[in-house]
Amino acid sequence: MISVSVRIAAPPAVVFPYFTDPQLMVTWIGERADLDAQPGGTFAIDFGGTSARGSYLAVEPPHRVVFTWGIPQDATLPPGSSTVEVVFVADGGDTIVNLTHRDLPPDREPSHREGWERCLAVLAAAVGQ
Amino acid sequence: MTPEPGEPEAPAGPDVVLRALADPHRRQILRLVQHAELPAGQIAAHFDLTQQAVSQHLTVLKRAGLLAERRAGTRRLYSLRSESLQPLRTLLDEFWPDALGRLKQSVERAHPRTERRRPT
Repeated sequence: MISVSVRIAAPPAVVFPYFTDPQLMVTWIGERADLDAQPGGTFAIDFGGTSARGSYLAVEPPHRVVFTWGIPQDATLPPGSSTVEVVFVADGGDTIVNLTHRDLPPDREPSHREGWERCLAVLAAAVGQ
Repeated sequence: MTPEPGEPEAPAGPDVVLRALADPHRRQILRLVQHAELPAGQIAAHFDLTQQAVSQHLTVLKRAGLLAERRAGTRRLYSLRSESLQPLRTLLDEFWPDALGRLKQSVERAHPRTERRRPT
């Protein structure tokens, strides 16, 4: 599980659409985004040679958005296999963005303790190898 | 752990490691040798590949620092060097922080806050 927070000097209503509007999404992640921000709707981002694919599970502007995350070409991290939850907390005029990327399906091999291969698939997508 | 013989391996950068991992056969090889040291022939037996192709995959993995090679008599035994994955784990740990850093910049650039300069 990965948890990350960032404080942004803008209210949640401003920050939230950066996770749901394709034009805003590509200003900070990926090069192309195809987003249908409603439960069950498409979540698709392209990075260089790879892509992240999933679907929105929850869209609750401007407080919370949840989407699944996976890599189509990689059997170890198929679309839908991991979940990203983003919670927007108003603080003064700022927003605290709390992002949690949780797992990543149980390994097919129990001995494969660290699941590093799945992590690397995410990484590969991230760096657009 | 005894130091591995053979040609010295320069520390491989993340790009080299990622390229080595980009191939499903090579990932499968790493799975095979993750907990057991295996000779090349036994690794090759798991694949529908020529011995030469498997040998090439082993070379790529060795160059990336992912595979340790040990000679035992006439055999060469291979095992995973899991420590070589640590730099990639570190990079992965930085993925979302980096992305959120860009998000922050993007939002704050698009929505500069002017009221901070005003007295309240």
